[in-house]
Amino acid sequence: MGYWPHLLLIGLVALLWLWDRRHPQTVNRLEENILIGLMVLITAVSFGQVIARYMFNTGWSAALEFTTSCFSWLILFGMSYGIKHGTHLGVDVFLNKLPLGVFRWVSMLGGLAGLLYGLLLLDATWLQVLGVETRSGAIDYWSKMYRVNVGSEELRWPTLIQEWFGVNDRVQRWIVLLMLPISLALISFRSLQAIIAIYRGQRRSVIASHEAEELVAENKGVLANIKD
Amino acid sequence: MEPIFLFGIVLTLLFLGVPVGLSLGLSSILFVTFFTTDSLSAVAISLFGTGQHYTLLAIPFFILASSFMSTGGVAKRLIRFAIATVGHFRGGLAMASVLACMMFAALSGSSPATVVAIGTIAIAGMRQVGYSKEFASGIIANAGTLGILIPPSIVMVVYAASVDVSVGRMFLAGVIPGIVAGLMLMATIYIVARVKNLPAEPWRGMSELFDSAKGAFWGLFLIVIIMGGIYGGVFTPTEAAAAAAVYSAFVALFVYRDMGPLKEEPWIRETDTKESRIGFKAWIYALSFLLVFLVLSFFVVGDDKTVPASMRYMWGFVLSACLMLSYLAWRGGGLSPGAIIRLAFGGVHILSRNLALMLRSIRGAVFGEETRHVILEATKTTIMLMFIIANALLFAHILTTERIPQMITEWMLGAGFNWFTFLIAVNILLLIGGQFMEPSGLLLIVAPVVFPIAMELGIDPIHLGIIMVVNMEIGMITPPIGLNLFVTSGITGMSLDRVVKAALPFVGVLFIFLIIVTYVPSMSTWLPYQIMGPEVVTQ
Repeated sequence: MGYWPHLLLIGLVALLWLWDRRHPQTVNRLEENILIGLMVLITAVSFGQVIARYMFNTGWSAALEFTTSCFSWLILFGMSYGIKHGTHLGVDVFLNKLPLGVFRWVSMLGGLAGLLYGLLLLDATWLQVLGVETRSGAIDYWSKMYRVNVGSEELRWPTLIQEWFGVNDRVQRWIVLLMLPISLALISFRSLQAIIAIYRGQRRSVIASHEAEELVAENKGVLANIKD
Repeated sequence: MEPIFLFGIVLTLLFLGVPVGLSLGLSSILFVTFFTTDSLSAVAISLFGTGQHYTLLAIPFFILASSFMSTGGVAKRLIRFAIATVGHFRGGLAMASVLACMMFAALSGSSPATVVAIGTIAIAGMRQVGYSKEFASGIIANAGTLGILIPPSIVMVVYAASVDVSVGRMFLAGVIPGIVAGLMLMATIYIVARVKNLPAEPWRGMSELFDSAKGAFWGLFLIVIIMGGIYGGVFTPTEAAAAAAVYSAFVALFVYRDMGPLKEEPWIRETDTKESRIGFKAWIYALSFLLVFLVLSFFVVGDDKTVPASMRYMWGFVLSACLMLSYLAWRGGGLSPGAIIRLAFGGVHILSRNLALMLRSIRGAVFGEETRHVILEATKTTIMLMFIIANALLFAHILTTERIPQMITEWMLGAGFNWFTFLIAVNILLLIGGQFMEPSGLLLIVAPVVFPIAMELGIDPIHLGIIMVVNMEIGMITPPIGLNLFVTSGITGMSLDRVVKAALPFVGVLFIFLIIVTYVPSMSTWLPYQIMGPEVVTQ
């Protein structure tokens, strides 16, 4: 097996990096729209299926596989979005007690963890440098799927696409799994960015201290002017 | 040795400020690489597989429903209804706040959202009539935790998915404890109100009760869709959640009109005549009744083929026509056919105007910036939660393959734990863990460990789930990391210490409640047993 999937992923990340530098707003909007799109798609298909099944006694046999795959894509693609915007939950009670200089270095650990997480799951072969007998990972698995070219269980291409591209009727498994290596590459990339940003002092940490941070920020002190 | 490494590395990463999901995931990965011969491909695949859990698919839908229900006016309507119901007791406004929190909890399933939505209105209201700010904030912080106990609840979905019990049972099991917890808080308020001579609201009469109920109805009907759908055997919980999400969006955009293109657009305009208003109301009552009748009869009849759909429709039309006629006769002041027809036609004018408005605003409602914002917020919450769940599942998987639960089970049974002392241990474990971890993540780690022991000791899995949820609730209002404390302190501008002190007396009440829930299993299991039969454990 060659290294072309690795190179493609590096190319993708490099492209994203360049684009992000030129048009950060566009990239942000695109990421959000992908996430929203997946969310809406899951909801619409599930609801449509409920209506179709109970009111018209029909349905789309691949609906379940489609929605659960979209859900996987949402979870995976969301990982890097969460790192980028610092929305992943973390514990900062002890972190906050540290002096500022140390705080910065410890905060960088959060990014480092994300980087390790992504790189190990993508392809753990590089650990052999440390003398650990290991290989395989997401890329390895994906390439295997690509070579074997198996189809998914229920998902079928629409006949139009079948005719145009001359593909088999089953949607290839490697297409469904495409988000796995991509999302891991993205989380590595965003974590690396986070480490650099924290080092430069542009960002405080990678975590949100609790899940309602935004909600509280929106309603900050709305009742503060009430007398005690 | 190896389990100690696993837990050690998780805790170290956690306290160093690594995101919860990453702490769990990375330690699992490191464990697999250094201590096992398994391949990392398998780990990567199970990461992808999180989305394939059909039960977990309900989570984004519930979050979406909750987001649409939190967009403004729903909380106001629930509070008005609550005040009309219990406001006239001594300490009534505080009791009404608890009731409003309970109802909102049933719509949203999110504790912080409940605190913000109800708290921002109720605390100001209570302060105005003379309650202390401490008292008001303490109540809201505590009542807000009911969000995860009163169904639908995301934490319950997570528990059900992790130990393989039915979500429907868990939801049912939460009903009675949720109501009891609410009543205990209200009873405490009543006693305090008697002692401190706190004010009561005037009784505003049945018409206010009826009017406010009408306002709250469209929100509360969501509960009927979810619970009725599941227990009528019509929907799976995931399907019910999907229906709930779409319903909430529809209600927020088109019925309540708190957001979207129809914002501030009233159903009835100033210029409409009195006659057409009566006619319009008659139409609305009739159509609402028809809808409710069709939905409810569908849930009751379910898949029963002996009752044809046409019969349901016929009865629905007949009954709503009767309702409409009697309303028109009552308000129009007579049975004369001419007057009734005139009123009914007058109402059509307003009705068709509203329908046209709705049709015209569909595009804006679906693609509008406000809708996008609400969905984006829901999506962010979903990915935040699912990232933790996905990695907690990896971690839990390693726990099971390393047979760590069995080791702990043997040790605990050997140490002579019985169900009584075991449940104390579980409570203490969860109360400590709840200080530092997000509820769903903690649950996914603790559940696989304690579940086998609980089964060994003959504890009902549903009962165990409810105990866990109540522990998570208490974890939300105890420092150092109490979500509801942060939120309450954030909106009131009070210091965290002050909020902690304010909440403390009611935390005591919830603590007593925890003891009752722990040692009275029938409180949790009675309702699911009655409706769905006893649990069959397949372990």
